Amino acid sequence: MDVILHALPLMIEGAVISLLITVIGIVLGSIIGLIAGLARLSKVKLSKILGTAYVDFFRGTPLFVQIMLIYFGIPGLLNSLNEYWISVNGNPLLSNTSMNIWVAAILSISLNSGAYIAEIFRGGIQSIEKGQMEAARSLGMTHVQAMRYVILPQAFKRVIPPMGNEFIMLLKETSLLSVIGFEELARKTQLEVARTYASFELWLTCAFVYLVMTFTFSRLVDRLEKKLETE
Amino acid sequence: MIIKVQDLYKNFGSLEVLKGINCSIKEQEVVVVIGPSGSGKSTFLRCLNKLEEPTSGTVIIDGYDITDPNTDINYVRQEVGMVFQRFNLFPHKTVLENVTLAPIKVRNMQKDEAEKKAIELLKKVGLEDKANAYPSQLSGGQQQRVAIARALAMRPKIMLFDEPTSALDPEMVGEVLAVMKQLAREGMTMVVVTHEMGFAREVGDRVIFMDNGQIVEEGTPKEIFSNAQNPRTQSFLSKIL
Repeated sequence: MDVILHALPLMIEGAVISLLITVIGIVLGSIIGLIAGLARLSKVKLSKILGTAYVDFFRGTPLFVQIMLIYFGIPGLLNSLNEYWISVNGNPLLSNTSMNIWVAAILSISLNSGAYIAEIFRGGIQSIEKGQMEAARSLGMTHVQAMRYVILPQAFKRVIPPMGNEFIMLLKETSLLSVIGFEELARKTQLEVARTYASFELWLTCAFVYLVMTFTFSRLVDRLEKKLETE
Repeated sequence: MIIKVQDLYKNFGSLEVLKGINCSIKEQEVVVVIGPSGSGKSTFLRCLNKLEEPTSGTVIIDGYDITDPNTDINYVRQEVGMVFQRFNLFPHKTVLENVTLAPIKVRNMQKDEAEKKAIELLKKVGLEDKANAYPSQLSGGQQQRVAIARALAMRPKIMLFDEPTSALDPEMVGEVLAVMKQLAREGMTMVVVTHEMGFAREVGDRVIFMDNGQIVEEGTPKEIFSNAQNPRTQSFLSKIL
């Protein structure tokens, strides 16, 4: 019990970081997802291809690999680029090729969630009856106006439940950031376990802290859903 | 002629839905399009505001050739109101907001001015007391009357009706037809696809019978309903009258 009480402040600190990175991931992911989702629905072939390629890549590869690619792979690429530049021009192109761990964490989590959110938005937009777009266009609205005032407001309501799920999934998946040493809840736990060898107690506590967060959040989403239903 | 359609063809993939439609409609004329389902009458109507892109042919609306890709279709559509079978009201907006949305966003009308006009129109369709209700709180007949008010709010020169009473319970058909009759009396140019033969007879200046993607016969309601010449028209009318 002592070992848990001693580790708890650190773990809560980690939990706050996990939540923070999840919120940032959902916010940036929503922006990326809206753009990618609309791109996939676009009639313009190039944007359709780009949107689909992005979604396929980030949903089709493990988050673990994406984190490694961004944290270690990108600096590696920049280093090779620098070496090539030096061999040609004699001086380096970039003075610093290292990757900040927060940048890597935000980038990987946002890009990953953006791909899932793109599909959520696409589904939400496609679930709106075709007649809504036709009615809006028949009144002289442009495609953009019809999207903005008629389709998206209705779609946003429908995507709240799947967005809640995505938040919960993402919160759990941020534990993978521990592999690059990003000190969120799982990493903090790992460090405490290494110090105290209290594996079972601390990992169980860690699980419990995740559970409290996901459980609270899913109840909040349920309530929001009910409220929107009655409106 | 406010509407001029020449050699209009429309294919969906390999399916030919419209096979050479020629038709002119005068200002203030009320034209009723009848025909069996699958005859292409709704597709014909939807080509008049380019909700369907014609495969070939020309459609000229109030002097604008809407089959010309350089024509600003959003501008022409402001002059052509449309009422749909399934109403298609915006469910997230109140009745008043449904009616004012396009005038505010498309015509750049001031909000209070748009609302004043909207209330007038809602009065006209007998629903001013529902201004703050949401569409889901209204009956089908009331929703369709709001849809008519919404289309009229853009001050269109032409109104298109795509089977406006087909999705309604029988007891609500009358209230919608009454609004349409009033519009016709006020001199609105109307093209109405419908199965309401009573309406066609009473209000129509001209009845067009379509079958198999073509206009088979047209004439005054009297000519069509009492003295149809074409055997296809006769056979269709004998089944429904």
